[in-house]
Amino acid sequence: MARLRTVSIILATIGLAGAGPTLAAKLMPKGKQTFVAKSALMITPAVDWNRIGARPGRNAESWTLDGLSLNDVTFYGGIANDTTLFRDAKKKTEPLPRFSTTMLAPDIAQLFESSYRVSVGTSLMSIDSIEPAVFAGQPGFRFAYSFVVQGEEVRRKGEATGAVIGGKLYLITFEAPVIHYFDATVARYRELAASAAIGTVKR
Amino acid sequence: MTFLRCVNGAVIASLLCTASPPPLMAQSQESASGVEQPSATPAGADGATYQSAIYTPQDKDERGLWMEVDEQERKLKNSNFVIHDPALNAYVHDVFCRTVGPDCNALRLYIVRTPYFNATTAPNGMIQVWSGLFLRTRDEAQLAAVLAHEYVHYRDHHFIKLWRDLKSKSGAAAFFGVFGIIGGLIALAQLSSVFSFSRDMEASADAGSVELLVKAGYDPMAASRVWEQIRAEADATAAARNVASRKDKTGGMFATHPPTAERMAMLKALVAKVPTTGPKMLRRAEYRAALGPLWAAFIDDQIKRNDFGGTEFLIGFLANEGWTSDLNYARGELYRSRGRPADMTAAVGFYRQATADQAAPVEAWRGLGLSLLRSGAQADGQAALKIYLARKPDASDKAMIAMLAGV
Repeated sequence: MARLRTVSIILATIGLAGAGPTLAAKLMPKGKQTFVAKSALMITPAVDWNRIGARPGRNAESWTLDGLSLNDVTFYGGIANDTTLFRDAKKKTEPLPRFSTTMLAPDIAQLFESSYRVSVGTSLMSIDSIEPAVFAGQPGFRFAYSFVVQGEEVRRKGEATGAVIGGKLYLITFEAPVIHYFDATVARYRELAASAAIGTVKR
Repeated sequence: MTFLRCVNGAVIASLLCTASPPPLMAQSQESASGVEQPSATPAGADGATYQSAIYTPQDKDERGLWMEVDEQERKLKNSNFVIHDPALNAYVHDVFCRTVGPDCNALRLYIVRTPYFNATTAPNGMIQVWSGLFLRTRDEAQLAAVLAHEYVHYRDHHFIKLWRDLKSKSGAAAFFGVFGIIGGLIALAQLSSVFSFSRDMEASADAGSVELLVKAGYDPMAASRVWEQIRAEADATAAARNVASRKDKTGGMFATHPPTAERMAMLKALVAKVPTTGPKMLRRAEYRAALGPLWAAFIDDQIKRNDFGGTEFLIGFLANEGWTSDLNYARGELYRSRGRPADMTAAVGFYRQATADQAAPVEAWRGLGLSLLRSGAQADGQAALKIYLARKPDASDKAMIAMLAGV
């Protein structure tokens, strides 16, 4: 998730990377099914992944292979009606748009686009295609996107798949720089997304 | 408007304590960036003797700073965010030249894609105009007012005065050191609270811009109108979010450009002193025509900012002279993006008004269909989506819309 990555880079730059547990990564071993994003969403990685300790939001978490700026998978698990995709950090001055259970797939893609535009302050963001897809055995959607974070200039491509299940939004996104990294690791993301299942909520 | 938001604070800090390059090197940097040396007073367009305002740095600190700004300009040139559209660039350049005279060719204008209202000047003659400005200036005279204001900051060497003042303050280096880790246009805007022109400088830029507007034949009231509109938009944003308006708050653009009642009164007083004879051009039609092809992208950027109140105000403001299908479409998109049940009903109404005109953007049928589907009107919604697909067979969302349309 772009905002989390930017914060990580800034903190790392000023030498706070080891200051707290929030930025630590935890190994997510291959073959082991695990609940993600504090939700009913279950994933079985086919290779080892790293889970980043800092969460983009209450019901979101990010995994990476080589570091968030190179490949970033973010799980949004069970986003409820009238809540944001990730942390509404500037609620008063730059509030994020909220999910509504009445949203159709194109509305969800636009919610995602608008959330990114607001949170990382960019106008270079687009949804490049969107189509129906099966997600965790349910009818859902898949969309492709691309964006550039202002001040960073790296062109990134992304892919997302998700569905609204039981009135809650489940979404898995992948993004990486257009140069090399997207093509190099998108298959790993698709493996992860294909393993998605909805289980009994872990509490 | 604000000065220079993309000077990297860390480098400034290092410039404060490291040696600067020899003059020869500094000069070669300047010529590389396209900054011309002052030439022997060329004749102005009106035949009068013209005194160029182009400035060359005088001491080693200034030269170092120039080099840094040149480097920032080099980066900006390659930025994904610079809008290269030749027609819009040519138009803005022409307006600039008409307003400020021959110096316009030595300064460089960059139109930057970012949905906020701002323009910035750097000491080497790099001027940035943010794309959000084009939705908020209503005619060519208002655009000229903004450009003239920026130019006066440059012409009157406001930056140099500010820079010398900053250097004399102890602790500036330490301050910039802290901010130096943050890059980028938006993050560095935080620096503007320190790197902002004083109120006197802003007042002087306002006064200078009114003179230039009059000389160029534009309506000098344009300058104060811009600020009235920005104040009203801040109120609208705040009202919709149920928070206090930021128009008089410190921070952000308003910190450096307080659009206070005092400032507007001063602008109006300046205009009152201007002789009433002579043309008072607004050139609204020319302005709209020049903006035409990019308007849809700019309003889309604005709608996706999730600023319902401010955007509704802007769209209403643009519709002062009547609702076009473009504006009705934009209003439909805004209401649909907020997505409350009552918004869907309103959006359907706006899209219907837009699609009554066959020349409406094809996406209006898409918005109409999606809003109807979300309102429970399945058959009507699907019919509208089918029109969208028929009119835009290569749509990027074709597969998803076809499914929703039941095709």
